Amino acid sequence: MIILFVALPLVVAGVLPLIGKISRRVLPDLLANAALLFLLVYAVAAGRPLIANGPVLQQISWLGEAVNLPLALDGFSLFMLMAVSLVGLCVGLFSIDYMEHYGAKANYYALLLIMIAGMNGLVLATDFFNIYIFLEVAAVASYSLVAFGLGHDELEAAFKYLMLSVVASAAILVSIAVIFGMTGSLSLPAVARALQELNAGPVVGISAALFIMGFGLKAALIPFHAWLPDAHPSAPAPISAVLSGLLIKVSGVYALTRIFLNVFGLTPALSTVLLYLGAISMVGAAFLALGQKDIKRMLAYSSISQVGYIVLGIGLGTPLGIAGGLFHLFNHALAKGLLFLTSGSLQQATGTRDLSEMGGLAKRMPFTAATNLIGSLSIAGVPPLNGFWSKLLIIIALVQAGHPVFAVIAVLASVLTLWYYLLIQRQAFFGKLNEKWAAVKEAPFWMTASTVLLAFLCVAIGVLFSLTIKTWVQPAAGVLAEGVQAVIRSWGL
Amino acid sequence: MIIQTALLVGLVLFSALAILLKDLLKSAISLAAASLLLGIVFFRMGAPYAGVFEISVVAGLITVLFILTIALTNTGEEVRESRLVNIVFPLFFVVFIIIDALVMKGLLQKIPALPSAPETGTFGDILWKGRTLDLVGQIAVILAGVFSVLALFRKRDKHD
Amino acid sequence: MTNTWFLYVFFSAALIGAGLYALLAKRNLIKLFIAIEVISKGVSLLLLATGFAKGNVLVAQALVVTFIVIEVSLVATALAIIINIYRHTKSLDIRKLAKLKG
Repeated sequence: MIILFVALPLVVAGVLPLIGKISRRVLPDLLANAALLFLLVYAVAAGRPLIANGPVLQQISWLGEAVNLPLALDGFSLFMLMAVSLVGLCVGLFSIDYMEHYGAKANYYALLLIMIAGMNGLVLATDFFNIYIFLEVAAVASYSLVAFGLGHDELEAAFKYLMLSVVASAAILVSIAVIFGMTGSLSLPAVARALQELNAGPVVGISAALFIMGFGLKAALIPFHAWLPDAHPSAPAPISAVLSGLLIKVSGVYALTRIFLNVFGLTPALSTVLLYLGAISMVGAAFLALGQKDIKRMLAYSSISQVGYIVLGIGLGTPLGIAGGLFHLFNHALAKGLLFLTSGSLQQATGTRDLSEMGGLAKRMPFTAATNLIGSLSIAGVPPLNGFWSKLLIIIALVQAGHPVFAVIAVLASVLTLWYYLLIQRQAFFGKLNEKWAAVKEAPFWMTASTVLLAFLCVAIGVLFSLTIKTWVQPAAGVLAEGVQAVIRSWGL
Repeated sequence: MIIQTALLVGLVLFSALAILLKDLLKSAISLAAASLLLGIVFFRMGAPYAGVFEISVVAGLITVLFILTIALTNTGEEVRESRLVNIVFPLFFVVFIIIDALVMKGLLQKIPALPSAPETGTFGDILWKGRTLDLVGQIAVILAGVFSVLALFRKRDKHD
Repeated sequence: MTNTWFLYVFFSAALIGAGLYALLAKRNLIKLFIAIEVISKGVSLLLLATGFAKGNVLVAQALVVTFIVIEVSLVATALAIIINIYRHTKSLDIRKLAKLKG
């Protein structure tokens, strides 16, 4: 019943405001987090057996009539679902304490669940227009979540994000119209099959360029990144975690990857474009992150840089490169989610996001300091944490495929990343305790618990990396490496 | 075909007018007129449902939302647009149209397309049975919009 | 693709081009949003024209209807944000929104 991934969050979101009227505190929190927990358990426990024999297609019968809900669950989709559920649950737990002073918590949880439903729907969709719809569902929810605090900065960031995002959506729709015009169909397998027959190089090129513009903006690749450094810091910390950790990857990287690798087929030209885009984002954003004083802004630029890594790995097209890119996607979702959550703990305790004002907080907030350290080291790629393995895979894949220059650039960017993350650690947590913060306490229970959980996962996946790669990443990478055949053969609806 | 072209020309003119006019209210009404023409264009293409939706929702509901916003934000000072823009825009537009026409002429007959199967069923069948997931998406996006508006207009004390 | 398709694409491109230019050049927040509406008209015209050219008008209609519903949600959210911005800055000028450096 893979429709549950979309239906359950929507239904719970629908009833949450009503429940919020009855009980302002406990019941909305409980219900929302229970829903998220269910999704996670369902993905982890029931997912793998479901796809053991190939992708699962959804055919359900409603009130006696067979309803056509073209959802497909294969290795790649399951991989993304797991990432979404995991980070979603931790964000939900974190929000129990963090969103107290924002008010309207039931409404917040409803919007969060709708965003998760949209992302799940995007991942399970098998039709171009459905991808677009769920993209917009998640996006509309995210606009108001960015503006949730109703302060000047939040509203400004939300407005600019909205404007740019709508242009991206328009580009995606124009591309979908071109594809519909060429092939007469909108479902992914049918289009894949039709494009094989047609020999429409230049027009597919136009369509691909529009998709890169649209999805590239959603993924915040340079040069389409201008909205992210404003939007992600201004949002409430758990929403920044979902935006940086999940939304840019699901609505940007997943959609681009699915379309380019499984429908268009990765031509050398496309691969080159992706490699260059990835490399430019990777390096450019790393440099831009260096000068930042605001901790969340620095994390936002770092997200752009890491998405560059992911696109670099996937754009390579070799099985190892794809596996590395996907593994990095997962690791970054965990680690960046973790880092944004700890930044939220910091912001709540000290009231500021400015690094130059902080200092020596490790003594007063040991859990936050420790989890932040683990998250930073993970993204910077320090063994034995998970980020190290995924970056290593990408670099090895680059060398193997004959792109030593890119590999060197990747290593250099990694060193840069390590440097500015250690800067945060030193400025915020170590060193002398600024007297202003002598009275701060460690973050409340749920906030600490969720960050500890994510940090634990970073360490565990780092240690058990080969197991993780074999059970989760390989099926996903396999689907993508098969290219167009994966969709034509097994999604024939 | 002539009528269709005339309607389309009217559509583009009213849209350009909506962008150029200084008074916001007249802009919104010009936009509504453009929507009306677009609805008629849809109807003449054999898409009556799309035409009805365009007219009732875009020319109706969205125009009302715009007018509501204009009314609620009316007591401030006027936003002075750069005068240069109002001169450059028509020029840019004419140049763009010329380039557009040339590109279209150049692309004639050049886009390959597969012939598609004839359509079966009524619109209701196709929407409810063929594209049911779209309806789930529509419900989701409406929920998102409703909750967004509720969240953005909630009564609260200032934060930060 | 038939010649009529190119006629429709011509007009659709004109709409989208006008909207994009206005997005870059205008300063009034509500005008910017009207520009987005114009772009949406261009896109829905393109979608329906493509369906018309392929003989698949019913599917294209379903797409356009769904697109219009999404557009309504978007407009509601955006106008709510604009009204809130107005409450803060008492102005609809986008130059007043230059605090964040992007």
